[in-house]
Amino acid sequence: MEIEVTVNGVVRGVEVRPHETLLALLRDRLGLRGAKNGCSEGECGACTVLLDGAPIDACIYPAAACAGRSVTTVEGLAPPDGELTALQRAFVDSGAVQCGFCTPGLLMTLHALLAERAAPSEAEVRRAIVGNICRCTGYAHVVDAVAQAVGARR
Amino acid sequence: MTVAVGRSVARSDGEAKVRGVADYGVDVVLPGMCHGALWRAPVPSARVVSIDAEAARRVPGVLAVLTGADVENRPTGISLCDQPLFAWPLVRYEGEPVAAVAAETVEALEESLGLLRVELAETPAVADLASALAPDAPLVHPDWASYASLSGAQWPRERNVVCELFSDTGGVDQAFSSAAHVVEDTYRADRQYQASLEPHVAVAEYGAGRFTLHVAHQFPFNVRDRVASALGVRPSEVRVVGHHIGGGFGAKLDVSLEPYAALLARAVGRPVRMENGRSEDLMTAQCRENAVVTIRSALSESGELLACDFDVVFDSGAYAIDAPYLASMPMFAVGSIYRVGQARVRCRAVYTNSSPTGAFRGVSGTYLVFAVERHLDHIARELGLDRRELRLRHLRRSGEKMLNGQTLADADILRECFDRAEELAPFSSLGKGPYRGVGMAACVWLTNPLAGSAVVKLNEDGTVGLVTAATDNGSGAVTMGLRQIAAEELGVDALDVVISMPDTDVSGYDAGSQGSRTTRVVGMAVKAAAERVRERALAVAADHLEISPADLELAAGSVQVRGAPSRRLQLAEVAKLAAAHGGPITGAGSYSTPMPAYAPTCATGLLFPVFPTPTYHLHVAEVEVDPSTGNVRVLRYIVVQEVGRVVNPTGVVGQIQGGVAQGLGYALWEWLALEGGRYRQRTFESYGLPLSVDVPRVEVVTLEHPDPESPYGAKGVAEPPVVPVAAAVANAVSDAIGAEINCIPILPEAVLDALASQDGAGARGVHLSRGGAGAEAGGA
Ligand code: FES
Ligand code: FES
Repeated sequence: MEIEVTVNGVVRGVEVRPHETLLALLRDRLGLRGAKNGCSEGECGACTVLLDGAPIDACIYPAAACAGRSVTTVEGLAPPDGELTALQRAFVDSGAVQCGFCTPGLLMTLHALLAERAAPSEAEVRRAIVGNICRCTGYAHVVDAVAQAVGARR
Repeated sequence: MTVAVGRSVARSDGEAKVRGVADYGVDVVLPGMCHGALWRAPVPSARVVSIDAEAARRVPGVLAVLTGADVENRPTGISLCDQPLFAWPLVRYEGEPVAAVAAETVEALEESLGLLRVELAETPAVADLASALAPDAPLVHPDWASYASLSGAQWPRERNVVCELFSDTGGVDQAFSSAAHVVEDTYRADRQYQASLEPHVAVAEYGAGRFTLHVAHQFPFNVRDRVASALGVRPSEVRVVGHHIGGGFGAKLDVSLEPYAALLARAVGRPVRMENGRSEDLMTAQCRENAVVTIRSALSESGELLACDFDVVFDSGAYAIDAPYLASMPMFAVGSIYRVGQARVRCRAVYTNSSPTGAFRGVSGTYLVFAVERHLDHIARELGLDRRELRLRHLRRSGEKMLNGQTLADADILRECFDRAEELAPFSSLGKGPYRGVGMAACVWLTNPLAGSAVVKLNEDGTVGLVTAATDNGSGAVTMGLRQIAAEELGVDALDVVISMPDTDVSGYDAGSQGSRTTRVVGMAVKAAAERVRERALAVAADHLEISPADLELAAGSVQVRGAPSRRLQLAEVAKLAAAHGGPITGAGSYSTPMPAYAPTCATGLLFPVFPTPTYHLHVAEVEVDPSTGNVRVLRYIVVQEVGRVVNPTGVVGQIQGGVAQGLGYALWEWLALEGGRYRQRTFESYGLPLSVDVPRVEVVTLEHPDPESPYGAKGVAEPPVVPVAAAVANAVSDAIGAEINCIPILPEAVLDALASQDGAGARGVHLSRGGAGAEAGGA
């Protein structure tokens, strides 16, 4: 079926197959390979994107259900040649990125959190990212990155 | 004053990663690429009776179906050559490849796999360690005696025992017969899955007699060699190109999908992409081995360790992989940190009909240190001794030798580790309160010595190019460490060091990201290469400035006159001058760590004989147990780690925090249980990885004892922080509930059972525990 979906601010018309996931649509057909597939089962959060501003697991979300809605991926956070967001900058500087495979998902979840809470507590940050598994960092530097980003926005 | 080393320089691939534009293995797309997948055995032990691929081949879009009948199927391996490409005719583990299929689309691929008719006759599985060792056990490898070792080395092996290490100082039995106390324990540990977030993936191309493999792999040169030997071609006919790696932790050191992708690419004449699904990845990742450790100690009246009898049996799974090497690890767990008197050590790596085990960060050390440290706590409890005191009494001193005869020249650092931890939080002050406990664990760990190389070039714009096949699996060893070393050597900003991705056609050999070797070993190669660039740059500038090179130095992106920095040449100018006078400036460097001396006769089966560039570690865990659920919460976690020299403070803390998180997962939540040779867990959902709300912030103390043989003194950092965690946590939990916890992982059920077995009174456990802590406080 033919749908229209806004991806990173651009309206795209795409033909989607019945069982196609949003992640497959983004990665394999729209060439947006930032969102990652870590499990295909809604467990790891590597595929997290924003749907109308709310984080979802794109690996289990039907592409067809995105008709008329707005999807933001990690590629849409900052212009390709423009400045990083405060959170992206803080991720790099605080050591929140190691292998980086979880990073796009974490960034999406945390951008959504920061849109709602200007200065979340550490406990709020940890609760927000409970669905984003990071195998590398042990999470402390991710928490630090949020604090740094909050500080930078002040 | 340094310009780069010792600073928290951000990783060079950080921006690409936060923008989502870093190319990982899973992101590689090539023109004309098709898809490949494996038909994997659904049972752990069987004979392949027949394979009918007719229907599978007829699916529209299917390009090739290959089985053991279509290839040479020669057995290969990284230690013992015992592993064929395809199960043919024997299936030895669930998940073993039986056939490989390539198709235009993923849909056609799946349909084809579903139509493959494989007739299997199931055979009794060698399901666990005990049955593998039984005298009448079926053989996982009926042809075991015919296998050759890759290096030509021989070691004791027989039937289902793929390697046996044995070492005996003598005098053990006498010590036991006259001992005042004998304490014996048996410890068990289950498997652990590396669970890198990026699953195994490979894209292969074939053309004009050469293979190109696109991988996200910790050890591209091993992929080259392993693919070449499996396919029977020369290594130089295989080119391996590395991409960003979404985590490895040891799971990406040996090959997995790469030889099959190469075979399929040759068969279909198009690029073939293969990617493990998560369950497939979990089932076949060469995870950390399960093991049983029995340890018996002879003690004097006052609690002096007189002798130790240490016996390890671990599960190699269906193939050897690196198990013959890992069988040596007990030699570095017993008698390395603590004097144990006379010692007998036996370790057997055993074949079973289960998924092969392999390398996982902190190989074997996790459960060996768990056994040693738990045993010490048990001894302290039996004899009414203070746990910390018991350790300090037996701590190795500088100049003493490990069981392998290797001298630990700087073992006094251990004492410093204990002192620093005590300054931060006195041991006897922790774990106070109901259901709370504290534990400690120490270890010595190596820095892997294997060879590495680098080329450094001065680019025409004054930036520095660094070409190496060393891989950054996320640790920062390349994107921070090597880059900082090159910057420091040449006096440029670390941002001006541009690093190539690994490519076996382009770079000299590199032994992969393992054993924390990269910053130390490849760092030496980078230093040597940069040294040559520096000499040449100074010579070129000296000519131009008509001054002696001895009066010049490199700083701030220039060659400048010592004491008169305004007389200078920008590096860009130097590079251009050089091009016209003798050619561009490049330098190459190579390095491998010299092997420390040891006693070759100390053991038989000692394939991994030394611990080069040792580092020292002490971990302290404070926990609280929930008596109604059995859940364990980690309240405080302290790491004192000797690192030689901190090259990148943020990077070092990040490696320690991340390593501890993996150790906590191993100790408490991650569970890969075998039943009849098959895994009970198949998904992330059932496996239990540590989440953001589980992992405490680790308190890190780094000790710096620069190694004169290392770049800026830096030793290995990233591997060891996972090693003592389970030991420290298990000791803390045992302290909290007043019962011995002897199995990893420490599941809530086990905690509840332990509580219940104490006369049904959790409160009694607390009483016992507090009594123990009180005694310690009194003794301290
Ligand atoms: S890939 Fe979607 S949650 Fe793991
Ligand atoms: S940085 Fe590797 S999984 Fe998070």
